[in-house]
Amino acid sequence: MATTPTINEQTTPAATSTVATPGLLVSLSPLAPDSLAAMLANLAAAFPEQDLLVATPDGTPSAPASAARLQLISYTPPAPTSTTWVLTAADYLNTYKLADEHHATACLLLGPEAQSLAPDALRALASAVLDHHADLVTPYYSLGPHDGLVNSAVLYPVTRALFAARPRFPLAVDLAFSPRMAERLAVAAQRQTAAGQNSALIWPVAEAAAASLAIAEVPAGPRALPPPNAADLNSLLAQVAGSLFADVDAKAAFWQRARLAYPPRPNLHPAQPPAPGSRTESATSAAEQQAPDVAPMLDSFRLAFANLHEIWSLVLPPNSLLGLKKLSLLSADTFRMPDALWARIVYDFILAWRLRTLNRGHLLGALTPLYLAWVASHLLQTAPGAPDYLAPETHIQNLAAAFEADKPYLVSRWRWPDRFNP
Amino acid sequence: MGQQISLALRESMHRALVKLASFLPGLLALLVVVVVLTLVGALLALALRRILTALKFDERFAGDQATNVADWAPRHSPTVLIARTAFWACVLLGLLIGVSAFDASFAGNSQVSAVLIPYLTHSAGAVLILIAGSVIARFLARSVLIGAVNLQMHYARFLSLGVKWLVLVLAAAMALDHLDIGGTIVDLAFGILFGGIVLTLALAIGLGSRDLVSRSLEKSSDARPTAIRPAPGSPPAAEDPNDESAAAARPKPTGTLRHF
Repeated sequence: MATTPTINEQTTPAATSTVATPGLLVSLSPLAPDSLAAMLANLAAAFPEQDLLVATPDGTPSAPASAARLQLISYTPPAPTSTTWVLTAADYLNTYKLADEHHATACLLLGPEAQSLAPDALRALASAVLDHHADLVTPYYSLGPHDGLVNSAVLYPVTRALFAARPRFPLAVDLAFSPRMAERLAVAAQRQTAAGQNSALIWPVAEAAAASLAIAEVPAGPRALPPPNAADLNSLLAQVAGSLFADVDAKAAFWQRARLAYPPRPNLHPAQPPAPGSRTESATSAAEQQAPDVAPMLDSFRLAFANLHEIWSLVLPPNSLLGLKKLSLLSADTFRMPDALWARIVYDFILAWRLRTLNRGHLLGALTPLYLAWVASHLLQTAPGAPDYLAPETHIQNLAAAFEADKPYLVSRWRWPDRFNP
Repeated sequence: MGQQISLALRESMHRALVKLASFLPGLLALLVVVVVLTLVGALLALALRRILTALKFDERFAGDQATNVADWAPRHSPTVLIARTAFWACVLLGLLIGVSAFDASFAGNSQVSAVLIPYLTHSAGAVLILIAGSVIARFLARSVLIGAVNLQMHYARFLSLGVKWLVLVLAAAMALDHLDIGGTIVDLAFGILFGGIVLTLALAIGLGSRDLVSRSLEKSSDARPTAIRPAPGSPPAAEDPNDESAAAARPKPTGTLRHF
């Protein structure tokens, strides 16, 4: 039984922890001069006793006075990328080449807006690789209840259910990894860049799980997330979901055998107050009190149900279509998409991707209204004052558990698509 | 006189029977050739399917991330398409050879094959044009439907049907033109029909997208930053970019969603 060894520890970085082993490579994304200065200051504060190799594509920067131990190198990315809001294949390939060239013992790959990360987070990321020998370390960002919704709806539940890996942000903008993990990511990235797709997404958590490498997650505090290149949700969702579906397709031999390395947590009861200090519950804030307007999302879903029903019927079984029909008739007060229904929808879309039931571009376009319906349901259920109130993170964890519970359905239909064809 | 009538009838019957006798071998040759080549095509398709399946042709073909044939006809794998193409090519070849054999065995100097063979090839071309038009129409109709629904256009289905019929009408006109059927009548009818559909769609889009245009204009005017006026009597304070308390005091947008 394949399992994924994890180091599920919440690393609490000490204020004066020193990482004595040299050879840490920090690879930065292009930053504005003031952001780069702030970033270097944070690195100097995070690693006061360590020599760092900081690679940046921004010309020849000068290290601040407080960062005397930073060795700055400038490089021209051999694989340029046009996508600047998320780590792409080109970023992993560039980092591996730098690490290999300078014989780094650990890599810290920081994405755009990385200057908003606290020094403690940077130290925790590096320490997990250098001290605790994790191969891949992902950050756990403290985001608002209305942030990272695609990650909450699709990326995290699918990664957790299929790859038995619990990092909350599988497509994190910042990562720390060991040299062998860097090599593995570079191999995956090479396949994309060789085809001229420097901006293709790589899924490091899935890569680590498939290679049975150790994965860890550390709290990273708040972070300013870079805005996506395109403002169109449809194209962004198609890009990210399409890449995830392709990765799931490519790693089918692994996830059909993988099992959870630990028993799943039971669903939390509704209206349960968040445990003090729990990293799974976010503090109630002013933003949480003012929920976004869900009416446009509900209208979009109802319009899509009336017009895309024929296309959805090519992908979804009758049970799911019936569930969506009932959902389209609900008012805003009672609009709740069951977790099992959303899990089944995502799995059916993954299957349709693999079987090419319809054009893949059309398939991903047809997913957008369903995703907006889930978002509306999530916002309504997590709005303070809702009769069945659930804290946002509780709802996400329940959703992930539903994905895990429905995994046998995906495995069965994957292996025998004709026999279980709806 | 009765004898003359019966003689004339016997002679015309004899000529008809002779014509039929000379026609039947050619027809038989045509049928035999078509049947034989159909069987050959079926065997060839079966062999191609087995060979390509053994070579994992579909997986290698799908490895290319760019749009490929499967995206246009997603229900049929490339292997199936190649096998069917080979089969129908053999059937068409059988028809061509059969017509030549029919013409060769047909007594007389009639150039049946000289007329039929070009017409058969043109017919095959017309059928291909119709098939391609149908595939393209279905693809574009779905693209327009999904795109319009995601843009929250309430006339998405109407727009999709309009695009579909535009392409189908164009394909049908091209097929008829390829067969030299109708001449200028078909050209004129196509022009009127196509222009009518385009005008209808333009009116529908123009009249129906007023809300969309006004929404987009509202969004662009909301995105412009509004100046914060200082309180009367107080000097304007310089904003320190590093002042976190000032940043926290600034009103944050409420109800904003971040999908990524």
